[in-house]
Amino acid sequence: MKLRVGDLAVGRAGDKGSVLDLTLVAHDEHSYELLVQRLDEHTVARLLRHSVPGPVRRYTVPALHAIKYVAPNALPGGVYASLHPGLHWQKAAIWLLLDLCIEGAEVNLPKEACEGRTNES
Amino acid sequence: MRNLVCRIGSGAGFAGDRVDPAIRLAASGEVDVIALECLAERTLLPALKARAVNPHMGYDPRLRRRLAPLLPVAHANSCKILTNLGQANPTEAGNEIIRLASDCGIRGLRVAVVHGDDVLSLADKIAWDRPITGTLVGAHAYLGVGPLAQAVAEGAHVVVTGRVADSALFAASAIAGLDFGETALAGALTLGHLLECSGQLTGGNFEPIGGELLSAGDYAKLGFPLAHVYSDGSAEISLLKDAPGRLDVETCTLQLLYEVHDPSHYATPDLVLDFTSVHFELLGRNHIGVHGAGSRGVPPTLKVSGFVEMPGWIADVEIGFAGTRALERARRAADVLRLRLAEWTESDLAIDLVGVDSVLRAGALPLLARPAELRLHVSARCSDLADAQIVEDEVYALTLSGPAGGCSLRSERRPRVEVVDGYIRASHVPTQVAWSTS
Repeated sequence: MKLRVGDLAVGRAGDKGSVLDLTLVAHDEHSYELLVQRLDEHTVARLLRHSVPGPVRRYTVPALHAIKYVAPNALPGGVYASLHPGLHWQKAAIWLLLDLCIEGAEVNLPKEACEGRTNES
Repeated sequence: MRNLVCRIGSGAGFAGDRVDPAIRLAASGEVDVIALECLAERTLLPALKARAVNPHMGYDPRLRRRLAPLLPVAHANSCKILTNLGQANPTEAGNEIIRLASDCGIRGLRVAVVHGDDVLSLADKIAWDRPITGTLVGAHAYLGVGPLAQAVAEGAHVVVTGRVADSALFAASAIAGLDFGETALAGALTLGHLLECSGQLTGGNFEPIGGELLSAGDYAKLGFPLAHVYSDGSAEISLLKDAPGRLDVETCTLQLLYEVHDPSHYATPDLVLDFTSVHFELLGRNHIGVHGAGSRGVPPTLKVSGFVEMPGWIADVEIGFAGTRALERARRAADVLRLRLAEWTESDLAIDLVGVDSVLRAGALPLLARPAELRLHVSARCSDLADAQIVEDEVYALTLSGPAGGCSLRSERRPRVEVVDGYIRASHVPTQVAWSTS
């Protein structure tokens, strides 16, 4: 069965200087544990590296069912130095996580695994 | 035993935030103070430039738009106002508020101006995260609750300042009534952090699982949060009874962790906060209790934001395509530009298809249907305005010498600005409170 991360958790992206931070808050304990298990630091770093540079650090807050991914060099020079169209593209960066697809032990970008599913609307 | 200390309304979460929610909070009589956060990283730079041109400017140019309707309502309801809309010039903001009070017929309004955040003259005492390669045009430290709480305790009706930690701005009016010790202060600062982004706590920038949106009418009149703060640092957050929005454990948890890195070490000027023990409790519809924030002591330094101007400009130029094969024509146009702008290195030139993958790039969802219309966007770092003109001209030349139907052009230039973080010992940053009365 394919699971979209955004069906298990709500999320929001933030930024400070060159640091991108992504927050997931799981809907319940079971979802939280699944996300902690599948979205480890290494997996998320591998998936994010297509879109943002640098390493990723993960923090978990079990009491709040929350997981943070912090990428300290993701926004080189801060948001004003970006060559993306318009300012603040990074506010959409949480969809890099919300649209990830979990299938068994695999986690993939939507292109590879969730095609046709996450675009239903 | 906990006592109610004060009732705080969140009236603005950035300089351009809506004006009307704060007026509704003040008019309700259900808040003792409204905090207005009007100074993001981005806001300070134009303020510094305005001050350099005219020493009487450099505060939020929207001051009158925001405060002209709010000040009389707040005054009539004994509601204080705390704000950082002083930006790069709190003194002149204070003077303008006194003039505004006089224009509104308000006499005896006590305005406190808090100074000290501008630390450019102390630049040799700042430890920067990385070497500064451009021109440092401003350096502002994030002040803590101290001078703000002092101004409130000494009877200010309006407190205006420049750079200050958002947690401090929103918590300052509660400080005098808190129990002794770090636990109560940690609770109040945590509440301040929760309130600092206005509608982002109450259903804005929030998509629940399942994706159900608020109605357009609800977003358009989204209520901003208010909170009852208690002496032990616990709080209850709510919306006005008739205010649309969504305030629940999920919206609160997302805001608690927003722009936080290590949740067990969130540094504010006053305390390093530990959010891992925070507990939210649903008390009723749009009514949340919060307690349990921990403290890891007082940090030795204040954070400083440095604004660095780099030489050159960024050119932003767009061209549209529509109709059958619009995607193919746009992609071909992008390839043409890569050939024509070959002098730009890959790291100084971005060519994106807006509507396809310009935001998330490789992480974008797959394209399941051909876009009926789309835009090609070019951003290029340029050493001077002449080079920026070349970028614009090359995009515009596509209309005659590129794939058919290039249309809907627009072109902008922006200066190259970077924000650098630094740290300065709090003891090196003196603060003052200056008073005036209408």
